[in-house]
Amino acid sequence: MSTPALELTGLKKSFGKAEIIRGIDLSIGKAERHAIIGPNGAGKSTLFNLITARFAPTEGHVKLHGQDLTGLQPFQINRMGLSRSFQITNIFPKMSVFENVRCALLWSQGYKYSFWNLVARSRRLTEGAEAILDQINLLERRDMPAGMLSYAEQRALEIGITIAGGADVIMLDEPTAGMSHSETDYITDLILKVTEGKTLIMVEHDMGVVFGLADRISVLVYGEIIATGKPEDVRGDPKVQEAYLGAALEAEH
Amino acid sequence: MTDQITTDPTKPAQRMRAGSMTITIGPWIVAAIALMAMPYIFTSNSALTIMNQMWITVVFALAYNMLLGQGGMLSFGHAVYAGVGGFACMHIMNMSDLFAAMPLPVLPIFGGLFGMGLAMIVGAFSTRSAGTVFAMISLGVGELIAACSVIIVAFFGGEEGISGDRTYAMPFFGNEFLQQIDVYYLTSFWVLVSAVLMYLWSRTPVGRMANAVRDNPERAEFLGYSARWVRFYSFVASGFFAGVAGGLFAINYEILTEENLNTASSGVILLVTFLGGVGFFFGPIIGAIAFTLLQTVLSLQTELWAFYAGTLFVATVMFFPGGLAGLLMMHVPAFKLGKANLLVVPYIKTLIPAAIGVFGLCALVEMVFHFRHAATGDDEMTVFWMTFDSHTIMPWIIAVVVTAVGFGIMRMTAPAMKEAWNAANTAGGKS
Repeated sequence: MSTPALELTGLKKSFGKAEIIRGIDLSIGKAERHAIIGPNGAGKSTLFNLITARFAPTEGHVKLHGQDLTGLQPFQINRMGLSRSFQITNIFPKMSVFENVRCALLWSQGYKYSFWNLVARSRRLTEGAEAILDQINLLERRDMPAGMLSYAEQRALEIGITIAGGADVIMLDEPTAGMSHSETDYITDLILKVTEGKTLIMVEHDMGVVFGLADRISVLVYGEIIATGKPEDVRGDPKVQEAYLGAALEAEH
Repeated sequence: MTDQITTDPTKPAQRMRAGSMTITIGPWIVAAIALMAMPYIFTSNSALTIMNQMWITVVFALAYNMLLGQGGMLSFGHAVYAGVGGFACMHIMNMSDLFAAMPLPVLPIFGGLFGMGLAMIVGAFSTRSAGTVFAMISLGVGELIAACSVIIVAFFGGEEGISGDRTYAMPFFGNEFLQQIDVYYLTSFWVLVSAVLMYLWSRTPVGRMANAVRDNPERAEFLGYSARWVRFYSFVASGFFAGVAGGLFAINYEILTEENLNTASSGVILLVTFLGGVGFFFGPIIGAIAFTLLQTVLSLQTELWAFYAGTLFVATVMFFPGGLAGLLMMHVPAFKLGKANLLVVPYIKTLIPAAIGVFGLCALVEMVFHFRHAATGDDEMTVFWMTFDSHTIMPWIIAVVVTAVGFGIMRMTAPAMKEAWNAANTAGGKS
């Protein structure tokens, strides 16, 4: 078996005395679409923040393509091919939509901290950004300030920024949070389209999205994974039903 | 958002090439011609002095805006980078052998290099975060170096400062820069070169990322860029151009003192930049021109010029956070919709009375000042080319009435102006 795209071993995180993540072991294979679900306060976002080094873990390790991420900064992890979106829309509001995407392309196209290249002169950058905008259907909003987009469009832009750099591990934190049904369908299709052949890890509340997208699902409850497996197995797992799904499914029907 | 401005969506690629692939050089050519023509329009020596000061301030303000506007870093001590660059240039001027082998126009580069060197040292620890921490460090370092001016006398020359003579430089095509006009063209050359370079900087990857880090440092980190290093590069580049401004100052005035380093100078450049507008590249240029005019022309008219400048600054912060540039650019949508003409009459109806009200208020301020501070027996004063006795009641009544009437009409016509503004900014039929 090849090295997993992402491997968590004994991951723990405490804030003061409160143990939020209580020992997580998880291995996510290449090109797998993995959803992390769980009730509110289970630590899903914290887990995301641990993986992407927004927080430092109290114990345990995160490995990306077999490489240990301990002590690395977010920008270093990003350069290794892991990109993430945020639960609260996290874009560059004062810059144009096009500019947002172009900034996301700069590092991956090797521009680094260059001050001897003019961005407008690079056809590769412009065309790359246009292609991403086309993918996320925002080509017509190209020159608008990103902060003026509608909520769903901002979420789409967020996904666009996340995938632009060509990272092969994409992490999406509640991509459909706060969206209407049609918007959710739109974003789900978008996610399917843009993560083709990539490893996707997402936190999501909407069960329709989860079962529609995920190859495997992990259920996080009180900082522990109580079940991991194929959607139908997880759905049938009595522990999961008790802890989470039952309530959620009841609420839905 | 009822009316989206949509261009032909079927041809995005062509639109793109027409738009962003070309670097517009039109404005720069106009600027170059204007710089060359100015001395023929304003021929007096004092006008040249004012313009030199203006262009130096332009370079400094643009450099400052690389931090404030582009990078989101509020510095309270940026004068030290210009100052240290200037002091370094003064010392080079005083090294007669070296200086005799150097054409004068090259000197600002050394100012830039010294400003940049200092910025590299300070930036190494100050750019770790933006916001309050950066502002406080900049203030502390600024004060520290300003205090050094009386301690490290060898470099800063103590209270007298350092002076030199620019004419000892190697003649530049036979020119020894004896005349003010020669210095003017030297300064103009540098202001144009610096402005072009700073503009191009804002179009490079690191310049673009400076904006990204300003808007959202965390997101930038998740795009592969260290916010800290992006800030560092902006800071160093800003230090370089501040140093160039310092070098130009050294050439122009041939003396540098503690005043070039202190917090007051740092405060002035913040004021200039903000007044002009931090949101647009050309904002600081407008700010520098406007402020230098206030400082030089208005200060000849009234002792209270700093009061007016301060009031203008507060008004800008409160009512026009985009500064003068923002105020100008606000009108672009109306022009694009072809409805700017709707604004002309309402503007005249509101802004002229407002101006009259402001003049009335200024007259009152001047009269109060004269009444309180003029020597006993000196009752006569001149405001707006009218001479009268400030100790009689009539001028006061007139000033109060003019102020009240001016602002009164402004208040009456303001709603109509607002309506016209909305109409001019709405696409589609007449509203």
